[in-house]
Amino acid sequence: MTLLPRSSIKALMLGILVITACSTGTSNQAGPPLAGCKSGTSLVTFWTSHTPPDSDSLKRIVDAYNSQSSVGCVKMVQVPGSETDIAKLTTAVRSGTGPDVYMLDRFTVAERAAAGVLEDLSQFGASSLSSNYLDFAWAEANFKGKPYALPFDTDTRALYYRKDLLQAAGVDISALDPAKGPPTIDTIRTMANKVNKKDSSGKYTQIGFVPWFEQGWHYTWGFVYGGSFFDKSACKVTPTDPKIVQAFTDMFTNWSKALGVSQVQTFLSTYAPPNLPAQQNAFLLGKVAFMVSGDWVLGNIATYTPNLQYGVTYIPVPNQGDQPATWAGGWSMVIPKGAKQSKAGFDFMKYIAGEPGQRQYTKDSQHTPTIKALDQDASLFAGGHAFFQKQLSAAHSRPPLPVGAFYWDQLSTAQDAAVRNTTAPATALAAAASATNAKLQQYCPLP
Amino acid sequence: MQSQRGAALIAAPRVHLTASEWRQLRTAAPFVLPWVIGFFAFTLYPIIYSLYLSFQSYSGFGDAVPVGFANYKHMFTDPLFFKSLYNTAYYTLLAVPIGLVVAIVLAMLMNQNVREVAIYRAAFYLPSILPLFALTFIFIVLLNPGFGLVNFFLGLFHVPTINWLGDPSWTKVSVVILAQLGAGGPALIFLASLRAVPTELYESARLEGAGPLRRFWHITVPLITPVILYDLLYGTILGLQIFTPAYILVGGTSGGAAYTAGPDNSLLFYVFYLYKNAFQYSDMGYASAMAWVLFLISIVLALLIMRWSQYWVHYEGA
Repeated sequence: MTLLPRSSIKALMLGILVITACSTGTSNQAGPPLAGCKSGTSLVTFWTSHTPPDSDSLKRIVDAYNSQSSVGCVKMVQVPGSETDIAKLTTAVRSGTGPDVYMLDRFTVAERAAAGVLEDLSQFGASSLSSNYLDFAWAEANFKGKPYALPFDTDTRALYYRKDLLQAAGVDISALDPAKGPPTIDTIRTMANKVNKKDSSGKYTQIGFVPWFEQGWHYTWGFVYGGSFFDKSACKVTPTDPKIVQAFTDMFTNWSKALGVSQVQTFLSTYAPPNLPAQQNAFLLGKVAFMVSGDWVLGNIATYTPNLQYGVTYIPVPNQGDQPATWAGGWSMVIPKGAKQSKAGFDFMKYIAGEPGQRQYTKDSQHTPTIKALDQDASLFAGGHAFFQKQLSAAHSRPPLPVGAFYWDQLSTAQDAAVRNTTAPATALAAAASATNAKLQQYCPLP
Repeated sequence: MQSQRGAALIAAPRVHLTASEWRQLRTAAPFVLPWVIGFFAFTLYPIIYSLYLSFQSYSGFGDAVPVGFANYKHMFTDPLFFKSLYNTAYYTLLAVPIGLVVAIVLAMLMNQNVREVAIYRAAFYLPSILPLFALTFIFIVLLNPGFGLVNFFLGLFHVPTINWLGDPSWTKVSVVILAQLGAGGPALIFLASLRAVPTELYESARLEGAGPLRRFWHITVPLITPVILYDLLYGTILGLQIFTPAYILVGGTSGGAAYTAGPDNSLLFYVFYLYKNAFQYSDMGYASAMAWVLFLISIVLALLIMRWSQYWVHYEGA
């Protein structure tokens, strides 16, 4: 028994075919690929893992590009991912459905280029753009002498402090004036301890300073203590540098012990759990009085807590008279392997990572540009931003290693052990060194 | 007639089809083909390919370099490999028995002879159909040591503050509790098996003077042992593959800077570490080798459970 006569089935199939053909046919008509683009442009897919408010700014740049470009028409897509997690990108590229442009953390460019995920940009003439960019940023965008990325933003880190909380605790904050140079760690500790508060059950409701909160990373304190994370001539990572071990001991192990290891962890789990939106940051909510973080927080404060009484100074140093230290990170634009519109994609990259894009992004998000010409433009660095921008010339940056993401995770594991007082910093860092060097070996010697 | 042919099919080495059967097969084949192609392309091929990759050094791009057994040897010197194995074993050993008990209790609640039973069934089953992703995000808020409802409730009984997601000795327990919100699925299967238990057995036991506890242990449990075995096997295999809640709980999805997989890497489960190796460290070879080791562990555990089941599973009429 059949449900339909054979001729009806044939007619049905034919009908479906005709409808499909018609529906795909319309997209071949001339006209802009997307609303807001010019006719005759090529559709460029751009992926970013950024979230608001930064992604809002990216969207504005994309719209501005689309309205004036006769080459590309960019469709921006927010995808899951993070600084070191690019699972979405690698699987898509492998299956031939990757984007034309991807926003990648710049310190992983060498790693992803070594893995073969990225297109060499010299074919588009990227090398001629090198003089436009700050040297350290351009160096991070290269691997084995070839450009694999155009640098986008950068950032530096500094010490934020809440004037209202400190003054309410009777602290004289005149020592925090940046004109007086970097404060010492002891000074900050004394001030911070006056702000600590506990409730009736003994739980912290306010802590002056948690050095590893936000951007107080292994790299941050390692650089502040003058440590070196990589020995290029030996092609070995060197987290066991005594200065880094000292930084871990002072800022993680001992600081955590003084506050109470489990109490401070409970405090952070309460007020700084994972996946927290930027507007619920513990500093913005007045739960901590000091925080090491980057210039983008200026943008968050302006958006979410415009009346906040705060100041910014250098990250504290171990001894009076020490040079201040910070480090610069930032993102970049890359073309993944197999991109179908790489030419139009590069045209968009020149815009977003060039002057127009970086100018807009600096204004919106308070990140710092990597374009030399913009770096000189004082009008871009309003208020506290100028302080961050001035530090850039002396800022450190993370070694751009082909195992950079792995090294970061290893250092984080050591930091976690130090904070929780389970392993001595020297032992934890030695484990990080041996695991990372074993993986690094296959790429040695590095150019 | 049907059963005779079935017996002949098993016995005869060659299959003889009549012309009309061939026609039927020709008509049916295109309908089955999508699944068959899908199975070969998306299941069988990746499995075999991953075996090949496990003997290579491969980033996922460019050329794979043969390295023999190096990936397998590396596991023995990799502390995080053992950590992830330990975390996964810890979780599975805790989650499977607890999950079994919770599912049976839920099924018994769903089986009560009351008028509103349909409402109870829907209410108990509802959390199981929520996406795990959304459930985990809600769970983070519930477990907040300062404001979370869980600690608030425990506080009423003077239980000291538990840092569920910040204390390495509690993180895995948190994931076990979270997993129980999905107990509605297995509970439905248990419900079906509970309803298949003949009521005459309960009636005669009652006449003989057996109390509710005795009836449960000596009638209900033996008769649902096949389903218990199924749940044990299925739960163990799923438990070894635990990934999503840990990935979300440690903030793997946020744009924020990556940290460890929970305090002391206590949520670094086997598949999570495999994922990191594949997609964060671009080491597909090592990740593939890890996948094969997990496969072997799963097979051995499944065989052990099957052998053990001979001593306690009761098949009706067997």
